[in-house]
Amino acid sequence: MGDNLPPALLTTSLVNTIQIGSLYALMALGITLTFSVMKLPNFAHAEYATAGAYAALIVSLSGVLNPLVIMIAAFVVGALSALISHLAVFKPLERRDVSFYTLILASFAVGLIIRYILFTMADYFNLFDLRIAIPLRVLFREGTLILSNLFAWVVPTSLVLVFILTLLLNRSPLGREMRALANNVNLARVIGIPVERVKNYTWLLVGGLAGVAGALWGLQTAVHPLMGWGAIISVFAAAILGGLSSFSGTILGAYVVAFSENTVILFLNVNYGVDLAYKPAIPFIIIIVVLLFRPQGLTKLIRRAGDLGR
Amino acid sequence: MITIRELTAGYGKLEILQDLSLSFAERQFSAVLGPNGSGKSTLMKAIMNLNTVFGGSIHLRERELIGVPTEAISRLGIAYVPQRENIFDELTVLENLQLGARILPKHDRPTALKELQEIFPILGRRGAQQAVTLSGGEHQMLAIAIAWLSKPSIMLLDEPSAGLAPAIAIDVFRVLGELREQGMTLIVVEQNARRVLQYCDYAFVLREGMLVFQGTAEECLRDEETIKSYLGVH
Ligand SMILES: Nc1ncnc2c1ncn2[C@@H]1O[C@H](COP(=O)(O)OP(=O)(O)O)[C@@H](O)[C@H]1O
Ligand SMILES: [Mg+2]
Repeated sequence: MGDNLPPALLTTSLVNTIQIGSLYALMALGITLTFSVMKLPNFAHAEYATAGAYAALIVSLSGVLNPLVIMIAAFVVGALSALISHLAVFKPLERRDVSFYTLILASFAVGLIIRYILFTMADYFNLFDLRIAIPLRVLFREGTLILSNLFAWVVPTSLVLVFILTLLLNRSPLGREMRALANNVNLARVIGIPVERVKNYTWLLVGGLAGVAGALWGLQTAVHPLMGWGAIISVFAAAILGGLSSFSGTILGAYVVAFSENTVILFLNVNYGVDLAYKPAIPFIIIIVVLLFRPQGLTKLIRRAGDLGR
Repeated sequence: MITIRELTAGYGKLEILQDLSLSFAERQFSAVLGPNGSGKSTLMKAIMNLNTVFGGSIHLRERELIGVPTEAISRLGIAYVPQRENIFDELTVLENLQLGARILPKHDRPTALKELQEIFPILGRRGAQQAVTLSGGEHQMLAIAIAWLSKPSIMLLDEPSAGLAPAIAIDVFRVLGELREQGMTLIVVEQNARRVLQYCDYAFVLREGMLVFQGTAEECLRDEETIKSYLGVH
């Protein structure tokens, strides 16, 4: 073993882990839900986050600084982007009974289209690398560790939304119907569940959550047309750690990915001189390792831990 | 109650049922018999609009069913218990039952769930359990209960006793007999002709997608040799 991380660096990286991990969780849960209910690994998912971030930016630039209004705008725009991509592309393709691979490619194409619509818009109005204009206040400072009001926004908002989503899925009639679709779509039709309507609600929900995640992301860094795309592999790594099916596994996966990208890489850097530039490789390594050795993700591990608890 | 005329149906371009005409009577327990692959399940799926219909008609009383989306058929009073994958196995038993009752008006749901306890006492004690953990008999009871909860006037059941131990299969048939007493129209696909003929009023025999025999249960039992030859058992 080499030296330990300096405590200040360690604390900062852990704060980042929590902050980034919470945002990953918000986006990855959407990917898991889309995959379970719609049987679609949606690579356009990150673009709903970018669209939400731009909605937040534009609202804040127009002078509305109420964070709640900003988040609602982000939710609405993310939700509509998701619903439109379903109605315009995924649903017509499903009607034609296309293969799984066609759907995956289509999701890349949808992502590309949204990304370049945002590029064009950002170019026209000169909206590159701007921060969402909520005033920044420092709440806590010690050495290199700075906690601003943004931390107080990002983490609780994400956690509350994850909690609400879990509640909705497990306790509400709509959530029950979503799980029924995920489990057995033919039987869902037979017993009269309005499958298309439930799918539309699911798209609105996952798009809206991605939109809010994008806005929160834009609060702490800056808004750019590629911001969502830059996170998609990490987010997918989190969802894959959840076996693309387990909610608790996905949430845990989000923090595992964020921890690896922030704390583990720093540890390797300080002790073994591993270059920080390798950070983007981490989610790829996680995906490959999981798919090779534990394609079911963390799910079974969690269940076993649950059994032990009993 | 359900009248089928010159129905040709199958999967994709494949025609399985050929020019099939038959009629299921109201408040009767009708059995659909036939060897493996004769098109019994295909007939059930055609009624539910789950496969391809090439021609003919399927009427529920005066109403044409062909072209009605599957989601809308349960609201017309038809419930269907598929042969396989007929419960939501990742959900709890209670959630399965709630989904079964979801098309009822809200204020009727608690009563329906309570009545259910009398017909399917075994399910009451299993509410919190994940449905995948049920035994074979409980699984089949749950599948029937989900269908029953929508308060249908007609129930289609595809081999409800397949794979069950004889004693448990008899329990299933006893429940079906009870539903029949309550005035339900039952259409039941079965492999075991001898058993179902103890309970049903009327039977149809399919072979290679065509109707080869129909008659009352008594007629079938009287003419057992013919039935056996149609079913390919000797
Ligand atoms: N989904 C399907 N696609 C293509 N052919 C099918 C499908 N399901 C059943 N078949 C064929 O249709 C015929 C009748 O099947 P089925 O109606 O399931 O028979 P049964 O229920 O009487 O045993 C069989 O030859 C079977 O291979
Ligand atoms: Mg069959």
